[in-house]
Amino acid sequence: MALPLPFGNYLALDTPIHRIDARVKLLLVAVYVFALFACKTWIGLSAALLLLVILFAVAHIPARRALRGLKPVLFILAFTLLANALTFGALDPATPTEQAAAQAAAAGTASAEMARESHAAQQATLLSLPWLGLDLSLDLPQSIPLMGSFGIRPLGIVRGLYFALRISLLVLVTSLLTYTTSVVSLTDAIGKLLAPLRALRVPVEDIAMVFTIALRFIPLTASEAEKLIVAQSARGARFNQGGLIRRARAWIPVMIPLFVNLFRRADHLAQAMESRCYIGRGRTQLSHDHLTGSDFAWAVCGSALLVAIGLLL
Amino acid sequence: MHSARLFIHQISTKNVRGEPPLLSFNNISFAYSHQSESDTDNELLPAGIGLDSGAILRNVSFALERGEWVVLLGANGSGKSTLARLANGLLLPLEGEVVVDGISSWDHDRLRELRERVGLVTQDPDNQIVSTTVFDEIAFGPQNLGWEPARIYAAVSDALAQVGLPEEDFAQRDPNSLSGGEKQRVVLAATLAMQPFYLVLDEPTSMLDPLARAQVLEATARAVRQGHGVLQSTHILREAGFADRVIVLDRGRVAYDGAPEGILADEAAGLSYGLTAEPAIRGLLPVSSDRGRQVDGQGPEKAEALTLSEVSFSYPDDPSHRPVLSDFELRLARGECLLLVGASGSGKSTVLSLAAGLLQPSEGTVLLGSRSPVPGQVGLVFQQPETQLFAQTLSEDILFGPKNLGRELAGTDEELVDEVLAAVGLEPARFKKRSPFSLSGGEARRAAIATILALGSDFLLLDEPTAGLDAQGKVFIYELLQALLAEGKGILIATHDPGYFASLATGRVEL
Repeated sequence: MALPLPFGNYLALDTPIHRIDARVKLLLVAVYVFALFACKTWIGLSAALLLLVILFAVAHIPARRALRGLKPVLFILAFTLLANALTFGALDPATPTEQAAAQAAAAGTASAEMARESHAAQQATLLSLPWLGLDLSLDLPQSIPLMGSFGIRPLGIVRGLYFALRISLLVLVTSLLTYTTSVVSLTDAIGKLLAPLRALRVPVEDIAMVFTIALRFIPLTASEAEKLIVAQSARGARFNQGGLIRRARAWIPVMIPLFVNLFRRADHLAQAMESRCYIGRGRTQLSHDHLTGSDFAWAVCGSALLVAIGLLL
Repeated sequence: MHSARLFIHQISTKNVRGEPPLLSFNNISFAYSHQSESDTDNELLPAGIGLDSGAILRNVSFALERGEWVVLLGANGSGKSTLARLANGLLLPLEGEVVVDGISSWDHDRLRELRERVGLVTQDPDNQIVSTTVFDEIAFGPQNLGWEPARIYAAVSDALAQVGLPEEDFAQRDPNSLSGGEKQRVVLAATLAMQPFYLVLDEPTSMLDPLARAQVLEATARAVRQGHGVLQSTHILREAGFADRVIVLDRGRVAYDGAPEGILADEAAGLSYGLTAEPAIRGLLPVSSDRGRQVDGQGPEKAEALTLSEVSFSYPDDPSHRPVLSDFELRLARGECLLLVGASGSGKSTVLSLAAGLLQPSEGTVLLGSRSPVPGQVGLVFQQPETQLFAQTLSEDILFGPKNLGRELAGTDEELVDEVLAAVGLEPARFKKRSPFSLSGGEARRAAIATILALGSDFLLLDEPTAGLDAQGKVFIYELLQALLAEGKGILIATHDPGYFASLATGRVEL
């Protein structure tokens, strides 16, 4: 009955991606996200996708593992697609033509031309590279009615797919980060990146300590919760029966001792830290790892490539 | 070698103004201002240990030298943990003074200096480890002291060597992945890395199995040889054998201060200070005819035996599918007491969970009578069962199990509560309306066992029931089991201490 943890999907491997300093990886993820939103075409997204596929391969992350990150957002992806694809404003293609013809008879040809044009096929921009003089588009009908005014917009499907792919890439790039970076080095990196804020009197060291302690105690608390679940099951407690309220109530015998224990622990931990002269100031900073040449190379080349994708494609 | 030299160098340069290098308790008295009804020795808010004034310590005086190993013996609630926290200024005495190498713990400006000299290690390593790697944990103290990085790296290496954990294997490990004994040695190393002159160890071994206990004691002995003064508290009488000197604390007073032989040889003294205790009757009572509680025909189906046959088990989410058990056989009949023995990690807890129906065997069968047990039908007392108490009153907590089983107890609720509380030696009138969180450690253990007895099963499984209990607590468990056995219950005890239950046992299962 292992409790799923919100993180901890780190795959301890030794690949070039794993070896990049966590700070650099955080930076690159940020630039990647920028590129995703800056690029406006399918070509740009495809380039970003291709890049990610290559990185996943280099990091030896199996495809199934990689795609697992998308599971929690499947609903959002489906919603994005449907919201863009479906419309309540669909018009029967036959109707407007007839109407237009009727109108044309009544008001002359000029307006009939206009009506026909406005309901004519729309273009989905597939590839538009003005700097190369390239402009590739797909002609699609504006809408296909299914039932009354409810219908499908082919253009919407294309746009929905575009947004869904962008969300997917966003999720995948963060899971690439967590698959290849341990939580410890990640918090370490965040702490280091926050360091300049010290000048603004932000208690960066305390914040880092809070993160560290949280990391230390989350797995411990999870295993305690598991023990309590088993222990209360041994007293006949059932956690998967009845309606919502009954299920929620079933967790009381787990949550109460869990919290009481946590508060006790907090007291003891504070004493242990005080005993070891922790006052939150004047601590020696040990930097375990320095940025290497290859870290700099990744940072510079990676950022340059991503910015290019974002701005040019 | 290197660390020993470093440490001696420290002593010679840091020695203070001709003051005698001692950790001394001068006529200490202490009481907690917020009196609660809790008296656990290991809690932060102990109080009311039965003394009229509520004093935890009274006129305690003694001194510890560098290089000396003093063992502080005392039953639960005798004031050991309080004394440990007074030693490094976490607590301040009501009367008297703690002086470390001439620095009084009253001197607020020099408290940090005092804590550099006195390292404190307490009972539960999980309450002391703050970092996510062993290296960071050991470097934590030296970092707080603002040492140069090079000195910190050296101190971490030395400290790991001192506690016998190879640096290359352990430095980058996550503390959550370590065994209890390894964790406690990391905690000890983290304190040693700060190079204190005195180590105060508050029951450092009480949560450990015998092997881990020996390793921690060995590391302690090494620290003593290197010149640290060690004050180690314990309720385990035989740990006194290692000490240079033994101090016995009895209800807040120093009852004995002298050579370990004096107290180890004196049985009467040991008994009167609560360091040893003997069950009223050793051995088996005659098994009476069925005196088991009957709830108007609503009781569980009568089964004569709990059997595990050809049971194999491996955890489904373990990728290696390494079997925890294979072809395991066990038959526990009513009126029998079996001891389940084996090293830590040999699968004792798994056997108990299988027998209680909490886990399903990969192969083989588990039968209670002729059916597979459903959770709740077999009483299972986990390690430290007091952690599962949750309700507002003890009586609610006791009825939780029977109600889950859907047993109709209308009219007999009160009777059941009274009966199980009486069985564990807690006076029902006094205890049933108490909050489980207001109980002392010993009382909570009894109450937790009562909640399992309330299930009314004929079979009771216990996982390390005496862990962390002092002599009297252990005797309570022994006598309780003896009585349950006489009622005709079948009992299975997983234990590291089979000797203690030997006279109760009708059989033994090795893992």
